[in-house]
Amino acid sequence: MSNRLTRREFIKNSSGAVVLGTVLLTGADKVFAQTKPSTDKGTVIDLTQCDGCSAKDTPACVLACRTKNQDKFPKVDSDHLKPYWPQKTYEDWSDKQDISNRLTPYNWTFVDKVVVEHNGSTKEVFVPKRCMHCDNPTCAGVCPFSAIKKYENGAVVINDNQCMGGAKCRDVCPWDIPQRQAGVGLYMKLAPEYLGGGVMYKCDFCADLLKVGKEPACVNACPKGAISFGTKQSMRELAYNRAKEVAGFVYGDKENGGTSTFYVSKVPFEKIDKAIKKQKQETNDFKPGRPTMEVNIENKLDSFSGMALSAAIAPIAGIAAAGFAAYNKLKGEKNNHEEE
Amino acid sequence: MKRSKHGKIYRQSLSNRLVHWGAAFSIFSLIISGFGQMPMYKRYNIVKLPGAEWLGDYSITLLMHYVGAVILIFIVFYHMFVHLFQKEYDAIPKRGDVKESWKIIKAIITKGEEPPSEKYLAEQRLAYLAIGVTVLILVITGIIKVIKNISIAFIPHSIVTISTTLHNFATFFLIFLIIAHLAAFLIKANRKLLPGMITGYVDEEYVKHRHIKWYKKLVDKKNRS
Ligand code: HEM
Ligand code: SF4
Ligand code: SF4
Repeated sequence: MSNRLTRREFIKNSSGAVVLGTVLLTGADKVFAQTKPSTDKGTVIDLTQCDGCSAKDTPACVLACRTKNQDKFPKVDSDHLKPYWPQKTYEDWSDKQDISNRLTPYNWTFVDKVVVEHNGSTKEVFVPKRCMHCDNPTCAGVCPFSAIKKYENGAVVINDNQCMGGAKCRDVCPWDIPQRQAGVGLYMKLAPEYLGGGVMYKCDFCADLLKVGKEPACVNACPKGAISFGTKQSMRELAYNRAKEVAGFVYGDKENGGTSTFYVSKVPFEKIDKAIKKQKQETNDFKPGRPTMEVNIENKLDSFSGMALSAAIAPIAGIAAAGFAAYNKLKGEKNNHEEE
Repeated sequence: MKRSKHGKIYRQSLSNRLVHWGAAFSIFSLIISGFGQMPMYKRYNIVKLPGAEWLGDYSITLLMHYVGAVILIFIVFYHMFVHLFQKEYDAIPKRGDVKESWKIIKAIITKGEEPPSEKYLAEQRLAYLAIGVTVLILVITGIIKVIKNISIAFIPHSIVTISTTLHNFATFFLIFLIIAHLAAFLIKANRKLLPGMITGYVDEEYVKHRHIKWYKKLVDKKNRS
């Protein structure tokens, strides 16, 4: 965390224009956010309701998601799996398709369980996890092949025909959401041993269902009604109202610059985050697929808005400098003639 | 402005030299940091080399890419407009340049006589056009890529995809052109141009032999004034 902060300061301090630009653009950002007629959809995940389907083998939302997306999961020919040269390994989940307690290319949502101390008592908290469908998705912004698109309805979707599997999206996602499967996709048609690594998979907000006016599969499946779906605006309101009711907290409204997913919890998210981190430490599980929940985690793309402004000013500055140089030269030649 | 030195001819103004080296430096940094945007340095173990760890950090290489881009955009616009304002078009290709450049190459191989040249050889003008167009494509598609990262801006995804693809291919083409540009100095005859890009001056003897048309113009101008 301290590492990240200093880097951010480094970026912001790099020039005065950057700071000015950031202020200007974040200001403008708010105006736009207020006036934009919202076509965005959103969800509320109410942790005061979710019990992790403790009585079942697999939570209902997880099962519904797996069933619904069966056809979209990678189909791998394991004979063709090869390490990512010069590395010795590759990421293959095709023989672990049953795993449902973390994010994998074959499991796009899971319910994490942590134990926290709060108000003097020990509580079990169940946290369904999946892509947050961010307002300005970091994953889409930095994809070197533009394989990730944010739809009008807010869904952030990876195009599995365009993805090369470099996993940069996972590196820059604050929650390491997209997961990689080797042996499928575009790179297999090029030079599979030397370039690319597979295809990244994650929750697509059931974009196909949203398109026809339906709810995501996981929303429908929850027996406790812990997941609500509606316009993003109404979901944000619902989340804050519910948080007020239970004297709780909201997660997902500020994080990564804003998302379409609003968690509501009685327990502060700092505690949940801490508990997840502690568990990861204890089980020595640092592989992606079990996200933490850092509060107010910043959007890395936002720190670059100021730089973008400098990029916009550069052409004008270039033309002005050219005019200045040309004028000086002209004057110089005139003086030369007068001297002669 | 025509500074004279014995046996030397002033060929590249300070402005030209700054543009050339500024562009070279920024393009070099753009290529290094651009490759960082393809998750390459981790994959190919380059981050394990001593002092190369930072290449695996997107926030550092992306910042470097932005700084390089701002410098390059400034230079590109300065360059285009300063020559427009001064009506200097020596480097723009002329009709018949393709044929003429073949003649020059043939002359170099057979050690024969080169056709008389202006300030720039026909192949120099062609190389300028190729590099110029490629850099412009990179700048335009790069700017589109920057805008799409700003949260308030909206650019249709199809345009973003086209820009990204063009940006990636133009990068490889530019690297090829840079290699060709450097390879040109393997030819001895061309090496006489190197001091011009450093000090501004080249040998008068060289100009007399190789850039005959330009030399005549310079002599004419001197006699007139
Ligand atoms: C002439 C030199 C340039 C070279 C060799 C170069 C090379 C590259 C390469 C190889 C990539 C990785 C592919 C990708 O991420 O899409 C890249 C990305 C990028 N380039 Fe360039 N580039 C150049 C100029 C520019 C300019 C002038 C701009 C902006 C004005 C720019 C902005 C970007 C951005 C923003 C990215 C990707 C990061 C992102 O999507 O935010 N580039 N460049
Ligand atoms: S949560 Fe991660 S994967 Fe999902 S949209 Fe945000 S940055 Fe992308
Ligand atoms: S929205 Fe659809 S894809 Fe995403 S977790 Fe729910 S069921 Fe799975």
